[in-house]
Amino acid sequence: MHIQELILRLQRFWADRGCLIGQPYDLEKGAGTMNPLTFFGALGPKPWNVAYVEPSRRPADGRYGENPFRVYKHLQFQVILKPSPARVQELYIESLEAMGIDFSKHDLRFEEDNWESPTLGAWGVGWQVVLDGMEISQFTYFQQVGGLDCRPVSAELTYGIERICMFLGGYDNIFDLVHGEVKTDDGVFPVTYGQMRQREEFELSAYSFEHADIDLHRSLFDAFEKEGWRLMKEHGHFLSAYEQALKMSHTFNVLDSRGAVSTTERPGIIKRVRDLACACAKAYLEFETTDLVARAAQQTRAKGGA
Amino acid sequence: MNEVRTFLLELHCEEIPARFLGPLTRDFSAAFEAWASSQGLGAGTLESFYSPRKLAWRGTLAAAQPNQTETQVGPPQRMCVDEAGRPTLQGQKFAEKWGVAFEAVRFEQPAGKKEPCAVLTLTKQGRPSVDLLAEALPGLIAGLHVPKAMRWGHSEFEFVRPIRNLLALFGTTVVPITVDGVQATNTTWGHRLFHHQVPEPVAIPTPEAYEAALEQAGVVVGVDTRRSRIAAQLEALAAEVGGRPVADAELLDTLAEIVEFPNIVRGDFPVNFLELPKEVLVTSLREHQKSFCIERADGELLPCFLTAANRTDDPEGFVKAGNEWVLKARLYDARFFFAADRKLELAARLEKLKMLTFQRELGSYYDKTGRVVALVKTLASRLSTDDEHIERATEAARLAKCDLRTLMVGEFPELQGIMGGEYLRHEGAHEEVWMAVKEHYRPIGAEDALPTSALGALLSLCDKLDTVVGCFAVGLIPSGSKDPLALRRAGQGLVRILWERGWALSPGDLIATALRVVGERATRPAGETAEALSAFFRDRVAYQLELAGYPGSVRRSALAAGWEDLADLKARCGALTAFAEDPRFASLAQSAKRIGNILKDEAPADRFNQEILQDPTEQALAFRLEVLEGTDDMGALLAALADLAQPLEAFFGSVMVKCEEPALRGARLSLLHRLRRAFLRLADFSLWQ
Repeated sequence: MHIQELILRLQRFWADRGCLIGQPYDLEKGAGTMNPLTFFGALGPKPWNVAYVEPSRRPADGRYGENPFRVYKHLQFQVILKPSPARVQELYIESLEAMGIDFSKHDLRFEEDNWESPTLGAWGVGWQVVLDGMEISQFTYFQQVGGLDCRPVSAELTYGIERICMFLGGYDNIFDLVHGEVKTDDGVFPVTYGQMRQREEFELSAYSFEHADIDLHRSLFDAFEKEGWRLMKEHGHFLSAYEQALKMSHTFNVLDSRGAVSTTERPGIIKRVRDLACACAKAYLEFETTDLVARAAQQTRAKGGA
Repeated sequence: MNEVRTFLLELHCEEIPARFLGPLTRDFSAAFEAWASSQGLGAGTLESFYSPRKLAWRGTLAAAQPNQTETQVGPPQRMCVDEAGRPTLQGQKFAEKWGVAFEAVRFEQPAGKKEPCAVLTLTKQGRPSVDLLAEALPGLIAGLHVPKAMRWGHSEFEFVRPIRNLLALFGTTVVPITVDGVQATNTTWGHRLFHHQVPEPVAIPTPEAYEAALEQAGVVVGVDTRRSRIAAQLEALAAEVGGRPVADAELLDTLAEIVEFPNIVRGDFPVNFLELPKEVLVTSLREHQKSFCIERADGELLPCFLTAANRTDDPEGFVKAGNEWVLKARLYDARFFFAADRKLELAARLEKLKMLTFQRELGSYYDKTGRVVALVKTLASRLSTDDEHIERATEAARLAKCDLRTLMVGEFPELQGIMGGEYLRHEGAHEEVWMAVKEHYRPIGAEDALPTSALGALLSLCDKLDTVVGCFAVGLIPSGSKDPLALRRAGQGLVRILWERGWALSPGDLIATALRVVGERATRPAGETAEALSAFFRDRVAYQLELAGYPGSVRRSALAAGWEDLADLKARCGALTAFAEDPRFASLAQSAKRIGNILKDEAPADRFNQEILQDPTEQALAFRLEVLEGTDDMGALLAALADLAQPLEAFFGSVMVKCEEPALRGARLSLLHRLRRAFLRLADFSLWQ
């Protein structure tokens, strides 16, 4: 199956089941969870179902486009369901069927895999979903995000798009995957993942392992942190401050893949990102709560006036 | 009464982590059994079942609590009835209080009363068990301790994973309970695949029908049944290709815990991956794919693997093909690491160890390497005069930790040491060097083998010595159940190596040497640390004696006579054990205690004049003393000691040691003092019993 077809089917499936279809957030990030649609969406009481694709960057996983299975950047398809539905596992299995997986011929297991993001102050419990021996999804019940308890609890489903495509098509090399077909007056031209991305993999791997300026990234990290706290403290702006936290996180990942972070330093650096992210979460929740109160008051006034 | 019925409870959940299944079923069984016996429902043990989505228990209980009779004693008879025999107000009130008519009241004289009193025998009806179960089960379920509990949806209820169905039967009756909104029924759910075709739940008409009904629905609910079926399939499928599964009891348990229906699939991987070291293949397959490798009789691996599938069949070969595909991807990665790591000499990573913290106060792995090198140099030159050998030992110590910065160890931490050794072998290092690096983490646990090479043993010893001594020196000392750095395990490994190798290195000497090497990094006074370490190693040595299987009497008495020279301790324990059953030692032990008491507040001289001794029994002892002090062989010494039992008894029978005459008394005390010293070369016999 073409990559774009898989994404379209997943979007259709989840839209039909009452999810908003979101868009990737235009900042570098390591996982779909970091998108504000999830980070803030999973907080607070309001019902929230959303699905979107997120390009996710893991600098240390870069292999210069030479490894047929590992890449610097891959696509995650992310679904958030709040509150987690009673039939959430069944819904997930139906989504696999929508992708064309005939469940009666395959082996499916849910194996314990608890998720934790120390940079986001978030953790949950759940599984890796294993199809015929391959991990195709991550399934998490969020317990905390931004250091705050999730009430109600969200279910997060994350599909590894490239992996599933390779698996379904029996591909041995990620770069042979077909993204889609370009049809012009001159004919039909299938475009592979390699054509679209291999050079990017090469350059970005080289950047994160060799070329990234360590001193620059260290000072960027400090600057993003300072900027984030300024936005939080002087303006109470949690969305723009959160962007600074995302930038810190990616900058840290680059430093890490450059081998510039010692094991002693590491927990301290992660904590600096987490502190800012947690402050954003707290401010968001306060904003939501006062906003809800204000709206409720407005409604009461409106009714009273009629 | 005495009617019993079978009880069955099943919590059907979303997939429960394998590691919690056993503990949760056991904890509930214990809590339930305690509750049942407290209610007088019988103390039968529960049978338990589990699978990834199920926790279940079955057992028999009395249908109802037994009736209980109790006697109530009221006021004296004279106050309850008047002279005409009519009930008084007080008499009527007593009957009313217990809810019976006055006619039920008897008058008799209970024990301890001086006159006849009003007496009532009341029968308390036992309650039906189903009611008691309905009241108690929700609390017993909610009370289960879950190490990593979760919430889901809107609920505040916490459990290991969401509960989706509740089956609770007592005989054929449903126990009416509700847990977090889920109401109990007499149905449950089978395998997901089964319900793909059959949308209705599975009816469980009676508790006895449980396993059979579930097997019909694709679930083998007994873990032991699953394990034995898996083990049989593993053997059979490996035999088909002329091999056997590489033994791994833990992996077998895991496979039995992650499937509801056991079915083993054999797959192949490209033969060229066999270039990878065996340890890499076995670890990669186990860690990433929960798969067994297959080995031939000579230990060589075959290009095949075995893994469990959670379904009865593989109709189109997708399960086999899928697992093969993933395994290939994993092995490709392993091969990438193996190739990429070897592009750079292992030694080139030494500098990079500066970035890797060993422990905050003790510095980086680079610092640790420096200390281990110093220790190896010192100790190797004590054990050998061969300069080349010492040089190789130092080289191995220098390179031992470099593999911590390789990609392979980053991916599989359990391959530390092994990879360093493999890479050095590929670089053409001396066999002694690469072997030592490869083996230097051994023994990892109590069951693990020791390093086979002398150099490996020395390196392992020095590495562990530095870890233990370094941590003690900065105040990281294990206490009670707290030993986060596994120092006891490291210390035990060190003692085992010394014990087996028989090297002339005493723990006290090792402690002093290592403390000098730790030097300025220590945060506590060296004397204090040395004392704590000495006590620590004495415990490790005591445990080593236990592991070696010596009887308690031998261990106690031999250890008390000194433990610093392990080779000597071993020889003494061996000699003592051979004589442990000899009845003469019981008598010797008695005498040794007596000598201990007599000498308690005395400081007798070493020398004494034999001529003074008068009694033939003491003259006999003095004669034997010469023999005892003259022998160096532990066996001979022991035989001489055994022969001493009877003369000592005779001595104490006829001689009063602390007599009036000072010279005689001094000589006798000196005699005993020297006898004791001779004993103590072997053991403190006063601790024999």
